[in-house]
Amino acid sequence: MNSAQPVRVRVRFAKDGDLRFTGHLDLQRLFERVLRRSGLPLRYSQGFNPKVRLNLASALPLGFSSRAELLDFWVDGELDAVVVEQKLKSALPKDIAVLNVAFVSNQLPSLQSSLKASEYRISFLPEIDIPETARKLAALLSQEAIPIHRRARSVDLKQLILSVEWTPGPGAPELGFKMKSTPEANGRPDELLNLLGLAPGTYQVCRTALFSNSEEVGENG
Amino acid sequence: MDSLQKSTINHTLERMLFQVEKPGRYVGGEHNQVRKPWDSVDTRVALIFPDIYDLGQPNLGLAILYDILNQQPDVLAERAFAPWVDMEAQLRENQLPLFSLESKTPLNQFDILAFTLPYEQIYTNVLNILDLAGIPLLARERGAEHPLIIAGGQACYNPEPMADFFDAFGIGEGEELILDFTRTHRDWKRRGGTREELFYALARVSGIYVPRFYEVAYHDDGTLSLVSPALQGVALPVKKRIVGKLPPAPVRFLVPNVETVHDRISVEIMRGCTRGCRFCHAGVVNRPVRERAPEEILEAIQAGLDATGYEQVGLLSLSSSDHTRILDIIRGVYEKFKDSRVQVNLPSLRIASFSVDLMDELKDLRPGGGFTLAPEAATERMRAIINKPLDEDIILETARTIFEHGWLSLKLYFMIGLPQESMEDVQAILDLARKIKSIGKSIKGNRVRIHLGIATFIPKPHTPFQWYSIEEAQSLQAKIDLLKEGTRKADIKMSYNPPDSTLLESWLSRGDRRLGAVILHAWKNGAKLDAWTERFNLTAWLDAFASCGIDPDFYTRRQRALDEILPWDHISTGVSKRFLLTDLRLSLAGKTREDCRNTCYNCGILDNFGSLRPSEAEIYWGCP
Repeated sequence: MNSAQPVRVRVRFAKDGDLRFTGHLDLQRLFERVLRRSGLPLRYSQGFNPKVRLNLASALPLGFSSRAELLDFWVDGELDAVVVEQKLKSALPKDIAVLNVAFVSNQLPSLQSSLKASEYRISFLPEIDIPETARKLAALLSQEAIPIHRRARSVDLKQLILSVEWTPGPGAPELGFKMKSTPEANGRPDELLNLLGLAPGTYQVCRTALFSNSEEVGENG
Repeated sequence: MDSLQKSTINHTLERMLFQVEKPGRYVGGEHNQVRKPWDSVDTRVALIFPDIYDLGQPNLGLAILYDILNQQPDVLAERAFAPWVDMEAQLRENQLPLFSLESKTPLNQFDILAFTLPYEQIYTNVLNILDLAGIPLLARERGAEHPLIIAGGQACYNPEPMADFFDAFGIGEGEELILDFTRTHRDWKRRGGTREELFYALARVSGIYVPRFYEVAYHDDGTLSLVSPALQGVALPVKKRIVGKLPPAPVRFLVPNVETVHDRISVEIMRGCTRGCRFCHAGVVNRPVRERAPEEILEAIQAGLDATGYEQVGLLSLSSSDHTRILDIIRGVYEKFKDSRVQVNLPSLRIASFSVDLMDELKDLRPGGGFTLAPEAATERMRAIINKPLDEDIILETARTIFEHGWLSLKLYFMIGLPQESMEDVQAILDLARKIKSIGKSIKGNRVRIHLGIATFIPKPHTPFQWYSIEEAQSLQAKIDLLKEGTRKADIKMSYNPPDSTLLESWLSRGDRRLGAVILHAWKNGAKLDAWTERFNLTAWLDAFASCGIDPDFYTRRQRALDEILPWDHISTGVSKRFLLTDLRLSLAGKTREDCRNTCYNCGILDNFGSLRPSEAEIYWGCP
């Protein structure tokens, strides 16, 4: 057993393509195997059935792409960030791209507990009537509350939305949302779009940034 | 291929994936997936496991064939599976053909669709897949525009029930045979012959069975009067193919992006079994025993772990403790992988203290959970009948060792409905389980858990028990009730199959060609995914039998005459019918035949395949 302090590595990565259909638990397993294939000197959990010690910031809903996901894992010994990045790249499936690798302090809180908000960008299939969608959205947002049901619980979506903006996209305008992302209060843009009558698959959601308090995390570690 | 169609698939698929459970089943893209340009090869094969991805992807046979085919520069192999009901509904609603995972190519554009048929309950899925691919189900209704539709796998040792649907079957081991299929197809395509010429060329390959070239006739009582080749040069019997030496184990396993039933690398340490249990299909059809050397096994594990990052290894065989160098393997595995944080599964262990020692040798590579033993029968009389001779003392001693070595949970497998079995033999299962439980309690106290797994005996083709009737449902139920009551009182867990749930396997495993109509009808009645207990639709099948005017009991509730022509007699496993008959007579006399690795009983394997036996001494064959 290595008693020295492990080195904490933080990776920002993008997830796209077919891997959008791999959910959070499966993604954790996928990273365990990616890290094992990478040949990096990994730290494992203690106990009878040790697992690669790793942490993902936040569950990305099935079907969403992202260019802002965060992963922490722990290694032994001094390593070069470039080497870590190379080893990761050689082991990753094609639909995950490493955007940044950094070493961060072991004193930092866990990714899950520091995450406060996420930013999403939504692009629509050509068949979607954007002005109509914008009108419906404005009407919805003007309500005092937007109650929805999650299993047995009632949730006010309006409390979870931090900001909304339309921006010009490559083709049609795109919709940006900033929403709360904490274990207690987690906003999902698809729930809002569902209320507008948009069927899943008629739009694409990309998570574009993660925020801790008011700061964007993962940019420079 | 038509790229317009492919982009349509991708576009429509994108939307469908949001409507189905576990969409990751349908997208491919796994680490180690092989993707070759469509036009870079002569022959495009779709390997199809006809059940859902979660079950099919971990199949070792599929991994072996995928590896072999994609190693050929002039062949590409992609994969397809049965869609779950929600995805099937999406495909039908959107009028999208079933496609391969790698390139999303509709199955009807491949040259060859190669189905693996490991068991009978997935036959209707084959029909469903062909239908979803827009391909006529019946072989005789297909033409030049359709792929060659073939099957291989353990269920194909009786191909007759599926003879209407397949153009050809590969009988036996697929490693060489699959390349004979692709080469024959390639040569035929180059020559530009007719479809009939392709079938004839295939029929002349050893181990390939082309059912259309065999004439079948029946007596008035429904039994066979004749099976004969309808053309010159067509083999009778069709003898299985084997490899004399196991080829290198596949190591570049695909790593699924969604969870499957076995997320691990599998290394086959040995093929075949010399024990000669009389109910066991695998024990006959996979003869002879051929081992992999420990060094080769260790290298395969290392390469597999490096290529996948998996944390689990399965060492597969029919009887792990019988590998002549199993101790070397296990010690080698421990030494080499003790710091790799992997778990090593060693299933199919013989009942002997030695097996417990083996698990101990794995130390912390041993997976958690219980120990499993399969006595199969609980009285010495029954164990003699099935040829699994074993003193009760050894069973109890092994159980004692298991508890002494720290296990708290023990799973015991037994069969009911075996030939000549009485209620006393079933009662003995309870008695034995209780004895084992009290041994466990004396060592480990109240934390000890015993789990009884009760399987129903189904007579299988090519075994010494192939002539037997199955037991009627009512008396099977009485046996189950006795066990349920007894295990409840003794606080022993029990799992079992209700008698009705095994009927399908019973009908199909010893069926003849006439069952093709029944299978087709059952599928039209909505039967599919029959291996999923909650989906199995008995009414659809009973109605199909009735509509076809066929009595299902003819296949199950009937003692076959010893001189009857059996529907699979023209398929040879290399083991002679004479040998099976002798073994049946010994069983009736309550006599056993010891493990045949020391004494040859002349089953026919050496006569048929002795010439393939490697001369190198280090390659172990289980025959004397």
